[in-house]
Amino acid sequence: MTTLRVLTVDDSRTILAMLHHTLSNAGFEVLQAEDGKQGLDVLKNETVDVVITDINMPVMDGIEFIKNVRATGNHQSLPILILTTETSQDKRDQGKAAGGTGWIVKPFDPEKLISVIHRVVH
Amino acid sequence: MSDLDDFKATYFDECSELLTELEEQFAAIEAGERDADRLNAVFRAIHSIKGGAGAFGFQALVGFAHAYETLLDYVRDGRIELVDDVVVLCIRANDIVADHVKAAQTGEPLPADYGMEEKERFDALARGERAGSDDEDEGGEPLDEFDIEFVPVMVNLDAEAPATTSDDAVEDTFDAPPMQVEPGHWEIRFTPHRALYARANDPLLLFRELAVLGEMHVRALVEEIPPLADFEPFAVYCSWEITLVSPTLTEEMIREVFEFVEGDCDIAIAQLGAGVPLDAAPIVAAPVAPVARAVAKEPEPADLLALADDEVASLLDFDTGPVAFAAEPEPAPVSVQDSFEEPPALSFAELAETIQPSPVAKPPAAVTPLKAATPAAAASEGEESSGGGRSVGVQSIRVDLDKVDRVVNMVGELVITQSMLTQQMDETLRARYTELVRGLEVLAQTTRGLQDSVMAIRAQPVKSVFSRMPRLVRELATKTNKKIKLETIGENTEIDKTVIEQLSDPLTHMVRNSADHGIESPEKRLARGKPETGTIRLSAEQAGGNILIIVEDDGGGINRERVLQVARDKGVVAPDVNPTDEQIDQLIFAPGFSTASEVSDLSGRGVGMDVVLSNIKKIGGSVHVRSWTGKGTRMTLRLPLTLAVLDVMLVKVGGSPYVVPLSSIVETIQCSRASFERVPSGGQVLQVRGEYVQVIDLAQRFEMVTDTDADNRFVVLCEAEGSAKVALIVDDIIGQQQVVIKSLEENFERVEGIAGGTILGDGNVALIVDVQGLKTTIVHKNAA
Repeated sequence: MTTLRVLTVDDSRTILAMLHHTLSNAGFEVLQAEDGKQGLDVLKNETVDVVITDINMPVMDGIEFIKNVRATGNHQSLPILILTTETSQDKRDQGKAAGGTGWIVKPFDPEKLISVIHRVVH
Repeated sequence: MSDLDDFKATYFDECSELLTELEEQFAAIEAGERDADRLNAVFRAIHSIKGGAGAFGFQALVGFAHAYETLLDYVRDGRIELVDDVVVLCIRANDIVADHVKAAQTGEPLPADYGMEEKERFDALARGERAGSDDEDEGGEPLDEFDIEFVPVMVNLDAEAPATTSDDAVEDTFDAPPMQVEPGHWEIRFTPHRALYARANDPLLLFRELAVLGEMHVRALVEEIPPLADFEPFAVYCSWEITLVSPTLTEEMIREVFEFVEGDCDIAIAQLGAGVPLDAAPIVAAPVAPVARAVAKEPEPADLLALADDEVASLLDFDTGPVAFAAEPEPAPVSVQDSFEEPPALSFAELAETIQPSPVAKPPAAVTPLKAATPAAAASEGEESSGGGRSVGVQSIRVDLDKVDRVVNMVGELVITQSMLTQQMDETLRARYTELVRGLEVLAQTTRGLQDSVMAIRAQPVKSVFSRMPRLVRELATKTNKKIKLETIGENTEIDKTVIEQLSDPLTHMVRNSADHGIESPEKRLARGKPETGTIRLSAEQAGGNILIIVEDDGGGINRERVLQVARDKGVVAPDVNPTDEQIDQLIFAPGFSTASEVSDLSGRGVGMDVVLSNIKKIGGSVHVRSWTGKGTRMTLRLPLTLAVLDVMLVKVGGSPYVVPLSSIVETIQCSRASFERVPSGGQVLQVRGEYVQVIDLAQRFEMVTDTDADNRFVVLCEAEGSAKVALIVDDIIGQQQVVIKSLEENFERVEGIAGGTILGDGNVALIVDVQGLKTTIVHKNAA
C-alpha cells in the first residue's frame, strides 16, 4: 500500500515531534507546519491524505486554517482532524463548524491516533 | 536516549522559549499594551506548556497550567477584566509555571500545595465573574468546566432513542414488544446532512468501520436523488438503513463510529427484534434540525468533476436491497440511469468517463466488499499524491549544539591547516608556483568566510537576555519608590550562545546597580531639574570583532568622594595614592566593594560589581565604566563575538610556546626594568606603581629549563578574577594571534594552571595559560 501522507500543524515542537514519531512509526509520511499559514503554504504544493491541526496557534489559528482549506482548491473532501484537549468541547465545536472532520484528544494515545486517522481516511 | 527523553528535551527547550515569550508579553502588557494579540500569545504559550506536560504526565504542571489557562481564556474573551491586580497575579503565575517546569525537568517535586494560593485566586476571580453573570446560579463552579454547546442531536437521541433496557421509550418507539428485542441485533438509520460532506466525513468510511463490528446489511434510500441536471455535488440525497448483527455489540460501540458526524446527520440507533423487517421499524429521527437539503445552485461543469469524491461513491454504492457487506462481492453493475426519473443531462457513461481519472474513482459496482475496496482506493490515491518533492513549511531547523560545535572545531582545524600551508610557502616556492599561491589565497579567503558563517550559527540575539530586564526594572522601581523607564536598543544583535548564557547574571547586576544606586528618587530628580522618571538605556551593538553592551542611566553618577573613601577604608587604595576620576570609577569593580550607604535588599547582596567583572572576564570580555556627576553613568561591556576563537599573546617558556589570553593581560614589562622584591617566605613580588603583585615564574612553575638570561626575560602582568593581579615571567614574547581552543581534558587530562591547548600555524601545540588557575594553585601551595 502506498504511504499515506499526513500534514501536521502545531506551534508546539513537542507535539509536532511526538506526532511525527507516532505517525512515521505507523508508516505515514509526515509533513509539518507551525501555524495555519504555513499549513496552507504546504497544501498549495503538496497533496496529503489527512491533516491534523492544533487550534491555538500564532499567525493563523486552526479554525481559520480549516476555513481556508475548505474554501480553497479541491480540499472539500480532505479529512481534517483537530487536536483538542479533554475540556475544550467548545473548540471541538468551533473546529467542526469551520469544517473539521473529527478530532483527536490531547494527550493522544498512539494507537487511538492511528485508528482515528483510519476512521477518516479512504 | 529513549524517544521519550528526546521528546522531553524538545519540550523543555520549548518551555524555556515560551517562558521567555511570556516574560516579553507581560512586559508589554504591564506597560499598557493589553491588546488581543498579546493575550492570545500568552494563552497559547501556557496552552502549549500544558499540552506537552499532559503528554509526559507532569500532573502538577498540568493542574496549575490548566487553571491559569482557563483564567487567561476568561481574560481573553473579556469575562475577566485585565486590571493591574490580575496582571500581577499572572506574572506571579508565570513564575509558578516556570518553577513547575523546572521541577518536572529536575525531577525534584515542589511542595504539594505550591501555587495553591494563586490557583484559589484564579477560582475566586472566576467566581466573581460568574456571580455577576445572569445565567449562572452557582458561584463555586470550578474554572475548568466549559460550556457545552454542541449537543442537540445527541441530547435528543438520548431522550428519545430506545435504550437497550425495556423502558417506556422502547414501547413508544417500536411496534415490536420489548421481549422480542434480540441482543446484538441493531438497526441504524443514517441520514447525512450537507455538513457531513463539507467536513470531509464520508459515509463509506463509516460503513467500513461498522462492518468491522459485525455482520452488516446496508440499504440505500435513493428516492430523493434528482435528475443529473439538478444534481448538486455537495447536496445530500441519500440516506441509509443499516442492520448490524453481533452478539457483543453495544449502542456505545455504534455511537463511537458516528462520533465525528453527530450533528451533521440524523441518526437513529435501535435494538431490533429478530425478524422484524427494516421498513417496519419506525425511525427515530432527531427532530432538532430539519434534514438539511442543499439549496440548489446552478451546477457548473466544474462541479461535476468534483463529483469524483465521496458523492459519486455514495451514488454508485447504493442498491435497492439490503447488501451483505460480509458476503462475496457481487459485481453486477447497476444501471444508475434507471434510478433517475428524468433522463440525466449527462449519460452515466459520460459521467463515468468524467470521473475515471480521479484518484477515488471506483468501479461502478453496486456492491463492493468494503475491506477490499478501500485499500485499493487508498492505494490509487496514494500514488496520485506521492509525486513531487516534500516541502516543509518550517523555515528553520534545530540542530544539537554538539553538532554545531563539531563543525566549529573542524573549521578551526581548517583555519590552522590553511595558515600552516601559507606559512610554509617561502619566497622560492612563491616565485615558482604562482598558481599555487593564488589557490592558497582563495583558500584563505574561503576559510575565513566559512569560519564567520559557522560562528554565525552559534549566534543568538541578545533579546533573550534583554527581555528579562523590563520586569527587573519594574520591580526595582516599585521597591525603591522610584520612577524608572527602561529603553532597549539593538536587541537583535547576535552573540555566541555561550556568551549569551553567561551574560544574564552580570547584566542583571548592572541594571540593578543603575536602578538602585544610579537613578535618584523622584524628588531629588525634580530638585535637580531632571524629569521625574529616570531612564536606563540598555543597548547592544557590534563593533569590529566585539559586541558592546551598554547600560546607561541618567542618574546622579558615581559619587567619587564616597567611592574613594570606601576604597581607602577597605584598603583597596593605599592612603598615599591619588587615583584619577576614571580610576576611581573603575574601583566599583574592586572585590567586595559596595557603596550603598545601607545594605539594600536589591543590590546589596553581599556581592558587588566585582562579580560582574569576573563573570565578564570568564567569557573573555571586559567592563568599563564612565560617569558624569549629576548626569549619569555608562557601563560598557565588551564581549567577544565567539568563545571558540581566542585572542592570545604567544610567549616562549623553556623553548616551548605558550599562549596567554589577551583579555587578561594588563601590560608587559622587561625584567631588567622591573623592580622585584624578595618576601620572607622565599617568594618574589613585583612592585608596580605602589602595588605589590605576586610573581609566578612560568619556567619554574611548569618545571622547564630556561637558558635565557634573567634580564632578557619579560614580565606579563595579568589580571585574575576580581582585579587581583599576577605577574608571569616568560622567556620571550613572540606576538599576538588568534587561536582555536582545544580542550585538554577531552584529549589528555586536566592540568593545573593550563586552561587548554591550541595548535599553532606551524603545527606545534601551545598550551593556554590559565591565569586564574595558576594564582589559585600558588595560594594553595603557600597555605599548605
